Order: sequence, then structure tokens, then C-alpha cells
Amino acid sequence: MIDPLPPRPDPGRQRWRHGRDRLATLLISAGGVGVVAAVLAIGVFLAVEVVPLFLESRHGIDWRGLWLPQSVEGHALPQHRWQPEPLAPGEPAHYGMAPLAWGTLKAACWALLFAVPLALGAAIHSALYMPRRLRARLKPTLELMEAMPGVVIGFVAGLVLAPYVERHLAGALALPVILPAGILLAGGLRTTLPARLRRRLAPGWAGIWLMPWLAALAALVLWGSPWLEEALFAGDLRGWLEATLGLDYAARNAMIVGIAMGFAVIPGIYALAEDALSGVPGSLGEGAQALGATRWQTLCRVVLPAASPGIFSAVMIGAGRAVGETMIVLMASGNTALMTLNPLEGLRSMSATIAIELPEAAAGGTHYRLLILAALALFAFTFLVNTLAELVRTRLRHRYRRLEGTA
Amino acid sequence: MRRTGKGTGRQWLALLLGLVISLVAARLPADEVAGTLGAVGSDTLAGLMLRWGEQLAEHHPGVRLQLQASGSASAPPALTAGTTRLGPMSRPMYEAERDAFEARHGYPPVELALARDALVVIVHRHNPLDGLSPAELDAIFSDTRRCGAEAPIDRWSQLGVELPGDRIVLHGRNVASGTHDLFRQQALCGGSFRLRLNEHPGSAATVAAVAAEPSAIGYAGLNHLTPSVKAVKRRDAEGELQAPTPEAVRSSDYPLSRTLYLYVNLPPGGGLPGPERAFLEQVFSAEGQSVVEELGFVTLPEARLERQRRWLEALPSAE
Repeated sequence: MIDPLPPRPDPGRQRWRHGRDRLATLLISAGGVGVVAAVLAIGVFLAVEVVPLFLESRHGIDWRGLWLPQSVEGHALPQHRWQPEPLAPGEPAHYGMAPLAWGTLKAACWALLFAVPLALGAAIHSALYMPRRLRARLKPTLELMEAMPGVVIGFVAGLVLAPYVERHLAGALALPVILPAGILLAGGLRTTLPARLRRRLAPGWAGIWLMPWLAALAALVLWGSPWLEEALFAGDLRGWLEATLGLDYAARNAMIVGIAMGFAVIPGIYALAEDALSGVPGSLGEGAQALGATRWQTLCRVVLPAASPGIFSAVMIGAGRAVGETMIVLMASGNTALMTLNPLEGLRSMSATIAIELPEAAAGGTHYRLLILAALALFAFTFLVNTLAELVRTRLRHRYRRLEGTA
Repeated sequence: MRRTGKGTGRQWLALLLGLVISLVAARLPADEVAGTLGAVGSDTLAGLMLRWGEQLAEHHPGVRLQLQASGSASAPPALTAGTTRLGPMSRPMYEAERDAFEARHGYPPVELALARDALVVIVHRHNPLDGLSPAELDAIFSDTRRCGAEAPIDRWSQLGVELPGDRIVLHGRNVASGTHDLFRQQALCGGSFRLRLNEHPGSAATVAAVAAEPSAIGYAGLNHLTPSVKAVKRRDAEGELQAPTPEAVRSSDYPLSRTLYLYVNLPPGGGLPGPERAFLEQVFSAEGQSVVEELGFVTLPEARLERQRRWLEALPSAE
């Protein structure tokens, strides 16, 4: 039986409703266009402010001065040097942008080195192995971590963490080796436990029962730091680093920045990667295990490739945040415009330089335009990274869609 | 019930408002100095300016100081554009800034000295170092060694000081701050800092960093010193140690010292509006000068203070 047609609505009211719909569509698309226009306008503003730097001869800037080492008073060899104000009228200023770009990338690399293993490990564990009850608690906790302001993290890193690590250097450097070894040891010990106890310490709950063990281990290593230093380096690790490896040590260094900024990027990477991993159809993993794959094989060959687009964009977005992050680098790095590979020396990032120097730079002057140039470089970099993340993500997703489609 | 309750509340509010208005109205004619007073400039001077503003508000409740402390470099553009009449600065105006002001207004700004300030070289409180000669200081901090040192100084042992971490760690202010500039001119003989210098966005941060590191050395404004750091004296040519005492800073005998200025937009022969005039009177009064010492700065030499007081008295009234 066919339903009778619904009563014809009153034409006036229908027109009013159509109009309202059209208005809503218009407003929403205007909002979208507005956002895009605002982003473009920022880029255009930066570009317009930078152009006179190269056109007006009074600035005396060329690409060589910006990126190649220049001869500097007091040094025989050409140096990279950021010294935007001339020492005295008539003397040359040095506009070496390379140390700033280097510092930015160095800080971001160390942050990712610290954050990516932790965040991905946490995402894999919580998406695949963790009981739902625990997972429901973990996610809000990590979101809380994301809400922590950069200033606070930077302050703690610069004034608490940096002096502490300096005093317990041997222990702190031993931790990245000791803690993973401790986890493996705990896993090995667990298999020797009686069955009842072993059932209590389920792998899914490892996040809880490993915690006291790792905390005790870390405390032991840090507490034993002086003995460690005495035994292995004759009580002077910094002297040993300097003499043997040629590494200078600064209390506020790239490692501290990496830890602090890593802490800030972990929640973002975790959230995206976790979403991607839990989005992989459960039947895929179950199928693999049914065919005899071990858990590890299932993870590496099936689940990770299927979630790889999401994981890739998670890491990329983390990189974008690490490059743009200002306050943490400013407060934890010492702002020394060095250009070394040494992770134990300070650095100076573009964003921190802009934050410190822009308020004091005279608008329209060379220094001001150089800072805007740095801002433009940052803008271009984050734009590129985000675009790349999106492109790779869509391409990879396209490739793996077949996989998901059959599941 | 509720409605009546609300009604009485509103009545009370109206009554209170009326009372306040009548009180203010009764007060206003008694005190002819009222209005908002704007100042744009140095963050070093922010504390002093605010305290003077508070004192002024006690004497003239109608006056309010609105201070924008975003750095000395922000004062000249604001004065030139006419957005403010008062520009506190921690350094004298550069020639270019003065020219820009004159080109716009046709007369130079009036320069008033507010207080004296000094930079102090600081080390960790357990550091046994007593004094440094100018050449040693330059050899520690600079790349250029323009003050005459032969070799750079990188280690405490080169200065005869035994410290666990032998390498000297340098802390200082960021490029483009007045403090950084003054230290560079006076202590490095105009040379450039080493790249290893840890640059901090404020003097308080520098002091905190030096306090946390036994092998550190740094410099900060006199008013930022805390018991957690030790001030290093200056060893002059005769080998005598010289501390930044108030007398030495006041008379510029201590070389790392500077005058803090206030620039005023004042046409020649013209007068100052009431609030500005009252503010300057407050600054140069005995009560105003006591704040200078209270905040860790050094007061001006009496002769200069007296000269500025007389200048202020001779100034015609604006109305």
C-alpha cells in the first residue's frame, strides 16, 4: 500500500525555510572561506613585510649573508653568527639565519626522538592490549597533559629539571638504557612466577603494575648517580665528556628541551595514533592470529601498516607543533645561537628569537624585517609539513582502503 | 516575595550609587588635579613608575597612571606619535629617535633623569671569587677581547678558583635589551658576546639561572640581586676592589652604571597639564625619592635633583 502524500506545506513557510537553509549554508561557507583567507592573509602580510629586505639596498642583505658563514672579528675562520644589531654605528652586523633554523630543527628532532617512541608505544598498547576500563581512564589523563601551558612546562624544565639533571648527569644519561632493560627484565621475571600470581599481573594491566617497579628503578639509578660517576668516570663525567668525546655541557641543553617539548607533543601524537589504531577493524588482527601469526607479527605486519596513514600524520602534526612551540624552547634552552650536533649544548630557535627580539626591534628596520623573515620561514615550514602529512595520509589511506573494504 | 526582595535590593543599590556620586561630586572641586596619566616605555622602570603612580593616587585620588611597559624602544615612537607625554627609558634616546621627534613636533623632547642604576656581575653564592679586572671580565664574556686581554678565559682555574665543574657557564640578557647593550658597551668595550652566552628574557631569570649553577657567571641590574647570588667586585688598575656602593653608582665612579630617564613632550615655553605636573612633583619629592632606594635603585646626585626641582617650579601652568 502506498502512503498518502504528506500534506502540502504552506508555501510561505516553505520559502521561509528554504531561505533559512540558504542563509545557514552561506554563513558556513563564508566562515570556511574566511578562515582560508585569514591564513593566506597572514602569509601575504609576512611576505609583504619581508620583500623590502631584499629590494632596499640600505638593509644590505643577500642570501649569502643569511645562510653562509661570514668572517667575524676574533675568529680566523668564517662563522655562522646571529648578531642583528651592529656593535657600533658603521660596524657590520651579522645576519646568519642558519643557527636559528638549525636550533629549531634540533629542538624538534630531540622532542620527536623523545615523544614518538613513548606516544606510539602508549597508543599501540592502549588501543590493542589495554582493558577498556583502564583505557577510559588513560585518555582523559593524557588530554589533561595536553592542556598544560607551554610556559609552565618550560619554567619547570628550565628551573627545576635542568639543574637537577646537571647534578645527576650520570644517572640521567643511564636512564634511557636502564628503564627499557628494566621492562624486559620484568617481562622475563613474570614468566617465572607461579601461575596464580602471573594471572594477577596481566599484560593488559602492565601500565599499573610496572609503574612502581620502574619508579623504584629510576629512583635507585638517580640516587646512585654519584657512585656511578665515581666508578665509571673517576667522579667527573663532564670532564670525561669534554676530554674523550669533545662534548661541552650546558645545563640548559637540547636534551632538556627535547624532554620538555616531547612532554608537550606526546598527547597530540598519542591521540591521533590511538584513533588510527583503534580504527583498524578487529577482524584483521583476529584473522592474522587465526592463521598462526604471533601477536608481534600481527602488530607489525597487519595492524601497523593498516593504521600507518593515521600514525604518519600524527607524527607530522607533532613535528609541526614542535617546530612552532615557543615558550618551552625560550625558557629551557638558554637561547645560545650555536650550530653543533652536540645534544648537551644549548640552542636557539626561530620562534624564541622572534618572541624575545620582536618587541625591541624598531618597526620597519632591518632587524624587524629579519624577524619577519624568520616568521615567514616558520609559516612556510609548518604549512609544508601539514600539507605533506595530509597528502601522504590520503595516498596511504587510498592504498589501504582495499584492505579495510574486504574486512 | 522574590520580586519584592529584588526591588528592595535595587533600591539599596540606587541609594548607594547616589551616595557615592554625591561623595565624589563633593570631593571633586576640592582637588583640581584629576585625570588619566599615560606613560609608555621601559620595563626596568615599570616598578618605579607604578609606585610613583600609587603615591600620586594617594594625594590626588582623581589621578590614575596608565603605564605600558614594553621596553625602552617603545617610548620614542609613542612620544613622536603623540600617544603619550611621558616616556620612561633605561637609556638615553638615540640620535635618530630624537631627530624623528623633532621632525614631527619642531622641538626636542625634555630629558629628565629619574634615578641611577648599575649592572652587577654575579656568581653562585658558594663561589669564592672576589673581584675581576675589566680585562678579565672581557676575556670571560667576549669573543673580541677589545679591553686588552690576551687570551680568552674559559675555566675557573684560569682565575685561580677551584670549582667542581671547571668550565665557566655564561648567563646574560637577550640581544636588544638595554641591559645587554650597556654591558656590551661598558664591560666588553663595545665588542661582541660569545655564542655560548645563555640569553634570558629578563634579569630575574638570569639571577635564577646563576643561582642554580655553581659554575655560572652572569650580570643583572642592581635591583634584581638576591641572597642566592654573590656580587663580584671590580678590580681597578691599582688592584683595589670596588663594589657598586650607592655613592660609587651615584657619582658614576662605578663604570657599569647608567642613568634612567624620563622623556617629556613639552613645547618650549609651554606648561604641563595638571596630572603630569603633579606626577613630576611627586617623583622629585622626598617621598618619591625614597621609593627609588626601596626598589634597589640609587638616587640621583643632590645637585641634579635640585636643578630638576627648580626647573619644574619655574614651569608655567598649562591652563
